[in-house]
Order: sequence, then C-alpha cells, then structure tokens
Amino acid sequence: MPSYDVMPDVQLYQPAELEDALNLLDEHKNDGWLLGGGQDTYGWLKDRAKNPKALIDVNGISALKGIRPVDGGLEIGAATTLREIIRDPVVNSDYALLAQAAGRVASPQIRNVGTLGGNLVQDARCWYYRRGLACYRAGGNICYADSPEGMNREHALFNASRCVAVSPSDTATALAALDATMVVASVDGTRELPADRFFAGPATHITRMTTLEPGEMLTAVRIPARWAGKRFYFEKVADRDVWDFALVSIAVAMDVDGATIGESRFVCGGVACTPYRLTDVERAVRGKALSDDTGDQAAALASKGARALNYNHFKIPLMENLVRRAIRV
Amino acid sequence: MDIATYKNDVWGREVFLGVSWDLLWVVVAAAFVVIVVHALVYAARKRAANPSSEGKRVTRHEKPDRIFHWLMAASVLVLLVTGIFPKIGIEFGWLTIHWVAGLVLTGAVVFHVVRAMFWQSTKEIMISASDLSEPFDESKKPGKYSLAQKSMHGAVTVVSLVVIATGLVMFAMIDTPWWDRTNALEESTLGWMFLLHGLSTLALVGLIALHIYFGLRPEKLFYTRSMIKGWISEEELKAHHDPERWAPKESA
Repeated sequence: MPSYDVMPDVQLYQPAELEDALNLLDEHKNDGWLLGGGQDTYGWLKDRAKNPKALIDVNGISALKGIRPVDGGLEIGAATTLREIIRDPVVNSDYALLAQAAGRVASPQIRNVGTLGGNLVQDARCWYYRRGLACYRAGGNICYADSPEGMNREHALFNASRCVAVSPSDTATALAALDATMVVASVDGTRELPADRFFAGPATHITRMTTLEPGEMLTAVRIPARWAGKRFYFEKVADRDVWDFALVSIAVAMDVDGATIGESRFVCGGVACTPYRLTDVERAVRGKALSDDTGDQAAALASKGARALNYNHFKIPLMENLVRRAIRV
Repeated sequence: MDIATYKNDVWGREVFLGVSWDLLWVVVAAAFVVIVVHALVYAARKRAANPSSEGKRVTRHEKPDRIFHWLMAASVLVLLVTGIFPKIGIEFGWLTIHWVAGLVLTGAVVFHVVRAMFWQSTKEIMISASDLSEPFDESKKPGKYSLAQKSMHGAVTVVSLVVIATGLVMFAMIDTPWWDRTNALEESTLGWMFLLHGLSTLALVGLIALHIYFGLRPEKLFYTRSMIKGWISEEELKAHHDPERWAPKESA
C-alpha cells in the first residue's frame, strides 16, 4: 500500500458554529469526515485507506471546547484537548481517573492537539485493517488477524464476532468506569447515551466502533457526580511507556468505607472491541475488604469467558494481575 | 450496475467480495412489476366462480409435509431478514440468529429430501414433457401439481441447495459452540461462496415474493388452506386437477 507525504485532494471546511458543522455533516454524510486533533485522521488520509470528500474541522467551534460544571458533575466538550483535561483542577481533584487515563494517551505532543472526542471515536488499530486490507471491518468477508498465520498479540479476548480488533481508547475505559454519558448531536437534535450504548462491538456494528450514525457528531461527554472524589485506579500496560496503545488497561472507581469496598466499576481496555466491564468482579468485591486476599479472589473472575487467539494468551494473566493491583491496599 | 463486488486479497489479486446488494432493489422492483402486471391481466379476464370448499374432502398435504413447509418458510424468512437487513443499514446482532435459522433450514430440507425419496412419489413434482403443453391447452388439467407449481418448486430447490451449500462453507468460517473458526479458506474461494450465497439469496427474495403473492390470490387460497389444514374439497379437485393424473385419498 503506498503512503504519501501529502494530503489527498479533499475539501476543507472550517465552521465556527456547531449548527454549521452539523449541516455540513448532514450534507456530506458518509463522505464527510470530522477533524479534531487529526491524530487518527491524517494517517488514514495519507495512506489513502479512507477517502472522504469533505474534511470538517471542528477546532474553531467554541461550543465544543471547555470543561464546565453541569448538574453537580462535569461536561467536557468533545474538542477539548487531552492536555486541557490533564491540567484541569476539577478533573484532577474529583475525577482523577480521567486525568490519569488521559495522561497515558500517546505522547505529550499528541496530547497537546488530540481531543477527547477524537480519542473516544478513534478507529481500530488492527494493522491488517489499517493496512487497507478488505477485512470484515473494512466491509470484506475475512479476518486476517484471526487466521492461522494472523498476528493477533494485541487483539481481543472477549466479544469478538468475526472481527477481533480492540478499542484503542484509554479515556473510554475511564469514562465507562465513571458512568459518563455521551452527548450526540445531528441536524435532527441531540441525544445522550451511556458508554455501553455508545461504543459498539462487531456483532452489531462491524464496520465502526461506535453507534454514531452518518450525520451525527459526539459534541460532549457528561460525567455525573456519582463517582466524584471516590477511590480510583488506572493502569495501562503497553510495550512502550509513551506513544503506544494499551495491551491491557484497567480503570476502576470504588466506593470505599473504611477499608470495605461498596459499589464499584471495573473496566478493562485492550481486551474487547468496547470498554469491557468486569461485572463479576464488581459483584465479588462488594462488601469485601481492600486486601490482597480479595484481590486474589476477584482476579480469578476477571478473565472468565476469555477466548484467547494464537498470540494473546498473555493478556489473561495480565488482566487478572491488574485487577489484583487495583484492589490491594 | 455491477453484479458482483471485488476486493484485493492479501496478495493484491482481485477476487470476488460478494454480490452487489444494489441488485436487491432490481429484484424487488422486478417482482413488484410482475405481481402488478399479473394482477391487472387476471382482473381483466372473465373467470368462473371459485368451486365450493364444502362437501367431501381429499387429502392434499400430509401433516409432516405441512410442518416441513412452514418450518422452511419461517426459517427462510428469518434468514432473509437477518441476512439482508444489515446490508441495507439496519444493524443488529444478526449472526447467531442467521446460522441457527440456517441449520433449521438445512435440517428441514434434509428431512424433506429423505421423505420425498423414500416415502413419496417424486414423479408428482418433476416436470415432464407432457406438462409443457399445459399453459396452452385450457382443457388440460394437471395432476397434483401444475406446471407453475412444479417450476416454482424446482427453482426453489436449486436456489435453496446453493444457499445451503455455500452457507455451510461460510458457517465453517465463524466461531460456533462446536468449533473455533479456522479462517483457512482461500480468499478467492470464499469470495465465490459469498457471491453464490448472495445471488441465491436475491433469487429467493424474488421467488418468495411471487410465492406469497400467488398463495394469497383469491383463486389460489384453497392451496394455502390445504397447506395449513391438509385438505381440498372434491369440487376444488375436479375444478383444478385431473383425477386421472392424481387420485388423492379421502380426507378424515
């Protein structure tokens, strides 16, 4: 597949108002492409693996930027950069889980321009798909990663359906653990949906990572006050400390009274096509003490139902150990 | 408009990706035109009153055959919905429902083939040379099945066998409770499977549209009733069939 130094011939739009951006998106539908920080976009375009006709740059829309209090929680505009989130005092004091996750995205340079919206809706990082091969995710009828010779070290353990790619987003796991909701807008209006209905697996949406329909845009993320100031744990294991995607990550939010765990959210990244919630672990640790023993008991439940591919068995003990580390004192 | 879509395989060779789903709208439009034209032509014709369904009854379809028919109908409709809707943008978790319905259809067809071969007369449904004059000779009445019914059965048989055979190959390419997929099939072979599966699916759409239309036509409703209840009246038998060529048992 050729790669080019220059951008393809594409019409660039730079709307200043959200309404104009939505109209452009509605006009161009599948031929339109939203541009935030561009860190997912430019690779696709330079490789000519995706060929939109219209690039709609949302960076000039002030309504999509900023972090503001809403109903006791927070609303973060989709075009807010990851750097702004990492440095925001309220995010750091009340929702440090998100700040930690955002701080582990890629590299400082990428976080300076990369947006929350872009990080959430970025496409799968399976290299067969990124290479431009006509796999299931690209509308074809085969998964190259899950074939006898396929290299699938980074691929899914859970909920694969033909395609075995995983969600590459670090902030998605944190936001799923914080019970965040996604605000989605189109010319027809606005809808708000929880993370488990926003991120989509291959069983239903094999050619996309979210339930965003053509003409729709993620405009903001709302984080409820429910988990503000609770105990958080985020850890991401990758081959490199910077500029790499998670092999497995974990985002945890817990009510802890003394040393006793109450309600909790355990969400893993890098193991399924969507942020993968460990509901068995959540049930098992409820009412238990934060301790190594509880960690050992819960760890065994973390990988229940995993279906390893040829080269990703190592993710199973990795998941279990991350759960163990999240629960230890 | 293309019949097939193509892709480059991992070696860069062009292979079939599958059928072009734009053809679906051609099939739907063609079926619609045929139905409308038939309905108009038939409405313009003078015809005798439908024979009475009262009086003595004769058996047209045994219970096992009726069960097979409706099982096949249900499974084919589920297969069409789960196979086609995602292709036209209605996305849902279709795959498991699709292969389960596919297995039901396969089982039903195997049952039907075995029953037809060993317990029934296959002659009744085979097209013979003498049937060919039937549409041109109004005095000539069919045996159990008319030429149109035999033709429909023949077409559905061929298309169903193709869709089942290609579907079983594709079934080996997904994870099931009994095996993990191997994904070891050549992409060009797989492309052919998808193309044939898609073409036979489109053919089924057209055939089933016509089948449902004729099944619901007022003068043919007694056939649909017989597929539910098993019988037709003796008057219906005399009006539409040649007792010399088909002598059914009296119905209970």
